Amino acid sequence: MEDYPEELRTPPLSLVSIVGCPELHPSISAALSSQQPPMNLLALPDFSKASILARTAKARDPLAPPQPPAGILKKDWLLKHRTRVPAAVAAMFRADQVSGDPAQWLQACSDLENLKSVIQGSSTKLVVILVQAQAGDELSEDVTIALRKRAEIDSKHLVVLVERDEAEWTKSLNKLTSVFTELCTTYYKDEGRRIKARIEKRNFSSVELSIRYCFKVAVYAEFRRDWPEALKFYEEGIRVLREMIGTSTRLPPTQRLVEVKAVAEQFHFKISTILLHGGKVVEAIAWFRKHIRSYERVVGSPEVAFLHWEWFSKQFLVFGELIETTSATVPDTLSPRFGTADNALTEWEFQPAYYYQLAANYLREKRYAIECSSSSENLTEGVNGLPESVMPSVYVGQYVRLFEQGDTVAVLPLSDTEYTSYALSEAERFQDSYEIIALFRKAYESFQSLGATRMASACSGGMAIEYYAAGDFSNAKQLFDGVAGLYRQEGWTTLLWENLGYLRECARKLNSLKDFISYSLEMAALPLFSGSGQGNSENKSKNGPAGSPTISSRESIHQEVVNILEGKHTSEISDDGFNVHLMEESTQLDIDQISPLRIVLVASVAFHDQSVKPGSPMLVSVSLQSHLPCPVMLDKLEVQFNQSDCNFVIDSEQEDYSTTNPHVHDEAVQTTSLTLFTDKWMRLTHEVKPGQSGKLECLVVKATISKRLVVCCQAESPVSMEEFPLWKFEDQVEALPMKDNVLAFSGQKLIQVEEPDAQVDLVLDSTGPALVGELFTVPVTIVSKGHVVHSGELKINLVDAKGGGLLMSPREAEESESHHVELLGVSAETMENGSKEEVDNIRKIQHSFGVVSVPTLCAGDSWSCKLEIKWHQAKSVMIYVSLGYSLDSTEETAVHRLNVHRSLQIEGKIPMIVGHQFLRPFRREPLLLSRIRSSSDDDKKSSLALNESNMLIVSARNCTEVPLRLHTMTIEPSDDGKQLCSVQQISGISNKYAVIAPSEEYKGIFSVNPRTINSNFCLGEICLSWSRDILVESQDNRVIMKERLPEVQIEEPPLVVTMECPPYAILGIPFTFHVKVYNSTSLLQEIKYSLVDSQNFVFSGAHNHAASILPKTEHIISHKLVPLGSGSQQLPRITVTSVRYSAASSPSTSAATVFVYPSEPKFNLEKGYSATDACVS
Amino acid sequence: MIVCVAVVGHQNNPLYLQSFTEADDALKLHHVVHCSLDVIDERVNNPKRNAPALNETFLGLLYPTENYKVYGYLTNTKVKFIMVTTDLDVKDADARNFFRKFHAAYVDAVSNPFHVPGKKIASRSFGARVSTIVKSFGSGTTA
Repeated sequence: MEDYPEELRTPPLSLVSIVGCPELHPSISAALSSQQPPMNLLALPDFSKASILARTAKARDPLAPPQPPAGILKKDWLLKHRTRVPAAVAAMFRADQVSGDPAQWLQACSDLENLKSVIQGSSTKLVVILVQAQAGDELSEDVTIALRKRAEIDSKHLVVLVERDEAEWTKSLNKLTSVFTELCTTYYKDEGRRIKARIEKRNFSSVELSIRYCFKVAVYAEFRRDWPEALKFYEEGIRVLREMIGTSTRLPPTQRLVEVKAVAEQFHFKISTILLHGGKVVEAIAWFRKHIRSYERVVGSPEVAFLHWEWFSKQFLVFGELIETTSATVPDTLSPRFGTADNALTEWEFQPAYYYQLAANYLREKRYAIECSSSSENLTEGVNGLPESVMPSVYVGQYVRLFEQGDTVAVLPLSDTEYTSYALSEAERFQDSYEIIALFRKAYESFQSLGATRMASACSGGMAIEYYAAGDFSNAKQLFDGVAGLYRQEGWTTLLWENLGYLRECARKLNSLKDFISYSLEMAALPLFSGSGQGNSENKSKNGPAGSPTISSRESIHQEVVNILEGKHTSEISDDGFNVHLMEESTQLDIDQISPLRIVLVASVAFHDQSVKPGSPMLVSVSLQSHLPCPVMLDKLEVQFNQSDCNFVIDSEQEDYSTTNPHVHDEAVQTTSLTLFTDKWMRLTHEVKPGQSGKLECLVVKATISKRLVVCCQAESPVSMEEFPLWKFEDQVEALPMKDNVLAFSGQKLIQVEEPDAQVDLVLDSTGPALVGELFTVPVTIVSKGHVVHSGELKINLVDAKGGGLLMSPREAEESESHHVELLGVSAETMENGSKEEVDNIRKIQHSFGVVSVPTLCAGDSWSCKLEIKWHQAKSVMIYVSLGYSLDSTEETAVHRLNVHRSLQIEGKIPMIVGHQFLRPFRREPLLLSRIRSSSDDDKKSSLALNESNMLIVSARNCTEVPLRLHTMTIEPSDDGKQLCSVQQISGISNKYAVIAPSEEYKGIFSVNPRTINSNFCLGEICLSWSRDILVESQDNRVIMKERLPEVQIEEPPLVVTMECPPYAILGIPFTFHVKVYNSTSLLQEIKYSLVDSQNFVFSGAHNHAASILPKTEHIISHKLVPLGSGSQQLPRITVTSVRYSAASSPSTSAATVFVYPSEPKFNLEKGYSATDACVS
Repeated sequence: MIVCVAVVGHQNNPLYLQSFTEADDALKLHHVVHCSLDVIDERVNNPKRNAPALNETFLGLLYPTENYKVYGYLTNTKVKFIMVTTDLDVKDADARNFFRKFHAAYVDAVSNPFHVPGKKIASRSFGARVSTIVKSFGSGTTA
């Protein structure tokens, strides 16, 4: 749009002129241009310059027949009317110039006459302005009248300007502008009417004039701002113009067409501007459509087709710019249903980008046309050379040749041939590519911001093609790459084919072999669109350098790559100078899961198992597929895992590798036939042995093709394998990568290699149940059966077997740290002294948890330790022992630790149950009052008599299943009890220890002699020292077990009944039987007693009697008895009753029994002791 | 004259594209069809504008480009039909009629039990039927 002349681009403004008084011109000019609409002022400082207003009189002979016009529109006509032909001329005089000095008056008159003569013949109006210094200045009536008469004007066209007074000045200036406005309107209306009359009367000799008149009328209407009329005449003009193409013969056809289009362009531009500035977007677009439609087929002869396309492109460009500058928006009144009968327009037609894109397309069309024309021109060159001195003529769209001969300069018309070669040479001077790129870029940016990505891509592609054409291959490649992404994503293979064709050539030109190969392979592997027929591949300008996509072209591209790789130079490639020497090294292509080259080669890898032990073999399937059109021979297939030991290589059997490459590395090498057929899976199964535990993942499959190309294909699991891009839309049967259906759908490329079996034995020994209190040892032995144990660590954990975890009661846990079961220590038994320090490295033992480090063990070595555990309570405990170790002492392997776990449940048992019993002395009964009084059974407190020896029998029962040794059994009196009570052991452990067999009981007898009265007397603790009955005895093994004796009541008995009787009796020989009652009180005690007859005895004495006992004295009841029968006989039963205490006492049966010998026995005195002993027990 | 018809799938991938021109502008028609998808997106994703035509399958003129006019149609399964014509004046009714017949042919083609939905339509009988419909376009026959 910028190359249009200014006068065409802006709406015309009325033009007025003032002559004289130059000092006032700026302010008048400002006043006029601030008018609405503004007016242009042609200011001439003095009257001598007035001649420029004169019309360039055509020296036309009025009698000569009217000449046919030489053109439609003169170039400068519009400019002339906007800058040199004023609607009104004002002559300015100062008041003092016209009054006073007659010489000045004469001068003024002659100036006026001159001016009049200048504007004579045109309808330019004359205005006279008188400038007064002040409003008050008298201006004589005669002067104004004389001046008016001279000027031949109405009185209202004589304006007085008052210079010095601000208010008056504004007022008079306003008057002047209104006069000018009125005169302008009249002038342009008159002019318009004059020309319009000619049209209406059809008073013209040729079509050209008709068009010219239309233009003029429209321009005059524009001067008046009469837009509808302007529009009407522009439209009329362009209609006539369109009809003229076929009829006019004034110029040769090519030039005629050029002229018509140039004029039409101006008309169209005017119409579009008026419509758009009037806000009539829809009409403007509709008009543009009509305009395009009427000219799109008027291409003209093929040699000048480029002119048409250039012009056509310009129409789009200009219209786009117009829409952009007027920022046209979709009117609300328009139906939103674009493209239907309701609204014939479409969304994009409101976007400038749409026009830019088409402009670029047509400009490209022009480029093609120039290429065609140039090539044909070259053939005919020399026949007629380039015409010299061709220049634009005065008419719009015409060119002439300036012909100089001596001093005369003549303007000669051109022939079409001359014009064509001129236009071609002019056109060839311009680089259209950059303009096309700029247009596409503008459209691209705009479409991108509108979210129309495909349209933007098309623009981007257009740019790329232009860069390609201009030889800027790196820019072109970059853009093509961007566009190819979209086409790949949406599967537009034909478009992708074109793109890749360009990219391939770019890579070739940029000498990038890797890119060339990858683009070529991708192209070769593209699925063909079924609809794309056998296109004519000749037309490379339209289909790109790759031609149209066919199977044969795919195959040839594939073959080309193979040839390059194998070093066979095809003629085509060496022509292009492709540097094949780069190929000394192999080229590597990486294909990952999102690579577009997945269609070239895809590798699917699946392990046959879910998990495996290290070192044990397993099968892995590798499947390869290619969509390349020809079979692909792989030289070598290399499968790589994350554990490099598992990598393997499969060589093609066609290749003889034995001579060239003896594989030094340990990788497994296998040979088989490796040929990939189109769309068929090549399935290979191989055996691998994973060395390490952990994850084993197949990373890449490297296929070597034609020795030099290494395709590095990322392995994919069948389970997560994506569909092939592009090929997924093809209507064909898809084979599965694995033969096994399960593997094909759920196979994984990674496998979990389990930890190796620990070749270390961990033995936990236990000698049956543990006994509470003892230091129970659990031997732990670590035996290495093949593994070297490095940095081993033994963890010990004690857990309550019944659950609950902690080995302490919650209450206890709060109060103290005491545990029911406690791990006291771990004692290591090491053979070697050197490793002792190591053992101590880590040693952390808590109550239920311990960690001990294990020294380095060689294979076959063993190490053991003992866990020392103490039970405080009878609990069942699980011991968990785990050994963690690594096979090597290096850092890496330290991560891989092997673990062995063992557990053992150990029962905790109470070793002995300790009981006790108080007894009174034999045949002696102290009266204990508390025993009589206590009626309830609750008070179970034993009572002991003061100063009497009371018997205490302590029993210890072995409740375990092993024999126990009882070392000591003592009563440890409490602190104060020592003085107040004497405890004597009567019988006890005679030897070093007593062995108690399981469930047997051991009894110890103590005599307790309290010496004070105390109702709550604490006797002390029973103290047992025991150990297991094992051969090896040490002091450490002994366990002290204590049990507290209950509190007892000690009281003084008021009466003590003692029965005295000989130890034995002899049949028939009388003996005396005494019952002594001692009154320890200070009171007289009355007692009664009764004796019951016994059939084995006869006795003398009272059956019943009573007696009084004085204080602190003893009363003796004596009876003489004669036994009547031998054997153990019951004495007559005596019952003593205390009246005061209402208590009766009779001896127990055992106390009242006596053995009667039939005759005097002969005792061996030495053995008599044991007899008494036996009697006691 | 219809120069090209196309069926475009859910991923904006071409399922069927047939051009009917002698000239070698198949590639250009691919571009034209591909670009028209932008307009379809715009029309379909702009519910405000589309409100009165909720069940309307015919999308109308998508855009005029160079000497082509592109018409669109969206089936209720969101498969897009695109038709490119060189006719200057296309009656809405003609275009609708064409798409109606084309839709019927498409439905028959994809109803083939051997056709996998989402794959390209390679049926020859579909192609033949489309050719017939294309030839009858604008002739006024309502067969």
